[in-house]
Amino acid sequence: MTALRQPSEERLLAYAAGTLSPPESVVVAAHLAMRPRTAHWVDGLQAVGGEVLESIQPAAVADDLLARTLARLSAPSDEGPVTLEPANDMAELPEPLRRYALGPWRWIGPDMRVRDVLAPRDGDCRVILLSIGAGRTTPVHTHEGVELTCVLSGAYETDEGVFGPGDFEEADGEVHHRPRTVSAEPCLCVVALDGQIRLDGWIGRLLQPFVRL
Amino acid sequence: MTDETDHDSLIQAVARSHDREAFAALFDYFAPRLKAYLMRSGAAPAAADDFAQDAMLTVWRKAELFDPRRARAATWIFTIARNRRIDVLRRDGRTLPVPELNLGEIEPERPDELFQTREDESRVRSALRGLKPDQIEVIQLAFFQDLTHAEVAQSLELPLGTVKSRIRNAMIKLRTLLDQPVGDQS
Repeated sequence: MTALRQPSEERLLAYAAGTLSPPESVVVAAHLAMRPRTAHWVDGLQAVGGEVLESIQPAAVADDLLARTLARLSAPSDEGPVTLEPANDMAELPEPLRRYALGPWRWIGPDMRVRDVLAPRDGDCRVILLSIGAGRTTPVHTHEGVELTCVLSGAYETDEGVFGPGDFEEADGEVHHRPRTVSAEPCLCVVALDGQIRLDGWIGRLLQPFVRL
Repeated sequence: MTDETDHDSLIQAVARSHDREAFAALFDYFAPRLKAYLMRSGAAPAAADDFAQDAMLTVWRKAELFDPRRARAATWIFTIARNRRIDVLRRDGRTLPVPELNLGEIEPERPDELFQTREDESRVRSALRGLKPDQIEVIQLAFFQDLTHAEVAQSLELPLGTVKSRIRNAMIKLRTLLDQPVGDQS
């Protein structure tokens, strides 16, 4: 199931098609930046998009649309190559994540910190960076929605196995998720969270009001 | 259908000499398809006209980035439309950027053999033709409609699980036809 440590075929297809929600796209883009072979496959899927664009039944555009469009043509800009200024100071992040400003680190538990990635949200779904110190385990939790995770550095272990840099995991409401950092360094992940996290057990219920992920 | 090298050379004419006639020819072919593409994602006709115009203006502005060794015209224009549509259909109404697929402005770091080439592209296209019609259908639906799989299931009158496994199987089959093992990691 999650043994491949990469997005499901449906999710890769949705990413290529551009129908994946923006927060999920951010995590998939980070994963693809760390897995060139899978990125190459997604590039190939663009050819499928080209194919279907050609085979679609055309819809006549407004009569004056061409004239209006021609009137708006200007000389193509001579700006030269586009350079994107990084929007944050975490040079260790893969390129797709350098484009977003980051919120402040917040303490959520011993050796556990979280900061918002100021990327587009989709309803309740948003993107965070999560850092879990060596040897630490996050509280057991279940998800209301789907949680997508890409490991950026370090490694964690769950019942599904060990997830290292570039690995991708999808966890849904069924999974009681309890990742434990198994690297000597903290494990840094980018996560798209949909819905609220529910902490299990009585300690979890006590903590819940204080832990805003 | 027009000859595809024709479209390539039209884009190159736009890049080389800002050729407005070449642009108009591209517009005549692609604008109605771009409009149909957005309408199948639920947009109203007027909004879809704006979208087609917008995508074609991007074709004009970025024509210099078009590299026929990497992709053919329809694929390149699809990628423009894909990036643009995400912005148009965004629910949060904000302007933060969504990750875009590359049009050649910024080359990601990867080994040479992992850059998309036109041969890769035609391999994908011929593999697509090797699929069964129902497999092609689910893949097309995933591309053209901003539908959840539940909605795909409804429009095909199939159980959701069937649609999901059909998409997955179609994708796995596509990969097999391309002789690229599933889950092969770099």
